Amino acid sequence: MGTGAPESPNVLVRSRGASHLQRTDKRAGLSLLTPAGIVILAVTIFPIVYSVIMSFNNIQITQNGFRFQFNGLQNYKQVYSAPLFWHSVWFTVYYSIITVAVELFLGLLIALAIQNVERLKSVSIVIMLIPWALITVISAQMWSYIYNGVYGVLNAILQQLHLIHAPVNWLGQPTTAVISLMIADIWKTTPFVVIILVSGLQMIPKDYYEAARIDGANSWQSFWSVTFPQLRGSIALAGLFRILQAFGIFDLPFVLTQGGPGTATTSIAMLGEETLFTNLHFGLGAAVAVSTVILILGACLIFLSAFRGMVGEEAQ
Amino acid sequence: MIKPLWQRVLGYVVLILFLLMIILPFYWMFVTSFEPNTDISAYPPAYFPHHWTVSHYVEAFGQFHFGRFIINSVVVACTSTFLVLVFSSMAGFAIARLPIKGKRPMLIFLLIISVFPPIVVITPLYMLMRDVGWLDSYQALIIPYTAFNLPFAIWILRNYFLQVPGALFEAAKIDGASVFGAYWRVFLPLTKPGLFTAAVFTFVADWTEFFMALVFNPSNTMRTIPVGIALFSGQYTVPYGTIFAGSVVSIVPIVLLVVIFRRWIVSGLTQGAVKG
Repeated sequence: MGTGAPESPNVLVRSRGASHLQRTDKRAGLSLLTPAGIVILAVTIFPIVYSVIMSFNNIQITQNGFRFQFNGLQNYKQVYSAPLFWHSVWFTVYYSIITVAVELFLGLLIALAIQNVERLKSVSIVIMLIPWALITVISAQMWSYIYNGVYGVLNAILQQLHLIHAPVNWLGQPTTAVISLMIADIWKTTPFVVIILVSGLQMIPKDYYEAARIDGANSWQSFWSVTFPQLRGSIALAGLFRILQAFGIFDLPFVLTQGGPGTATTSIAMLGEETLFTNLHFGLGAAVAVSTVILILGACLIFLSAFRGMVGEEAQ
Repeated sequence: MIKPLWQRVLGYVVLILFLLMIILPFYWMFVTSFEPNTDISAYPPAYFPHHWTVSHYVEAFGQFHFGRFIINSVVVACTSTFLVLVFSSMAGFAIARLPIKGKRPMLIFLLIISVFPPIVVITPLYMLMRDVGWLDSYQALIIPYTAFNLPFAIWILRNYFLQVPGALFEAAKIDGASVFGAYWRVFLPLTKPGLFTAAVFTFVADWTEFFMALVFNPSNTMRTIPVGIALFSGQYTVPYGTIFAGSVVSIVPIVLLVVIFRRWIVSGLTQGAVKG
């Protein structure tokens, strides 16, 4: 949309007195940028730099505020030698990869299936947008009641279908707790993926399918030669959004499993929060936070390059 | 091109199953919020409740101050949305229409900023706010929420401002309008859809944000809805009835928002995809 529009067609002005007007425009431009610039610098750039500095210091809370003491890479050494850190990194990575992969796959199937549905469209869009706009904490409470080991409705349904014999404590065992968490996440975010992919599908010109049909392609071939290559921008966008969110996962396990049982569902963000605000180890916490950023940026780069490799060079 | 019948039937079946999967947990929450406690913890549960009561709603607003949480959420989300609209439309206009150096680095910088996870900024902000005594205050959330939503809003609005013909800007200036006048009287009214999109996305992000709200505003009077709902807890059992009563109430504004603004939400979600 609108990328082709000219940047500044100052043809009229440029001929005479251009430099003066250009200068006022420039000054106005800078002053219009200032408020946003100040807020962004103060609330994002300053803290990011500060976090890096903190991660190289031993920080103690005293009566007069925080006392910093430079200790080099000590925090990082301590964090990287803790098994819990690597456990939480591993959990966050596989949790993110599996949920995002399932969401993209399910989302694509559902989007392909419903692209021909003409009626119900605005109603279904509203219904699909509600989980997107839902407070994650609410969905977590909702699922904790559904999964409940004593009176949860999931157990009741599964028992009536004779799939299980006795109620299962879904959140009480590591494996089922992880899967339950994933399902709650997939429930909340697949509709978002579907909406992006359906809009992507609608933008594919109909002639392409016509051309593929004339060339004798069957549905399967026309999916791989038309639909998928045309849809890759939407898939990449949805995937990237989701990976960013999934790597920062905090709200859902905080309410649903409190990181447990044991540490089975302790994500890296939860570990950071605990180090910082429960144990008040600010230097260590900052080292965890900085490591998280590196991990997330790395994940984005890997996803983008893997995705580009998969769909060919032009994906850029 | 007419699709074969089986494809259309399959489409309806998949869509209806999918919508049911979305709706059923909501149904369960809604129903539970009206059930007496003995029914809430009955097993097997009744799929349609036998007894109805509004006592959980009374509890949520009486004993648990849920009204206060709603007020806090509304104040924080509305103020920050307003600030985001003002600042981002100014910045977006400048980037789209004025001769400033370094636009491309600026836009790339905004993208990178929006990728950073909150945890990396939370601690320094927490320390800063502790020092100036801003913990448990509205500004403790309004300012970070504004900053975090600015990058996306600036991107969106810049795209909309680029679609307004440049000749309008020249015409306004020839008519004697200042740069600010052109922005305010010519450009802003023409980019209403962009403003709606930016507003809805900011509002939803603020309304649902949990991490910062938990760390910066933990006190009982300054909690926002997500913190309130996460920290609702009874002496021995989880008070699901009360939690769900509060949840149902706080979903209502979201449903209204989605119904009214769905077109702009979808356009916002797909902006990136269109640009490829």
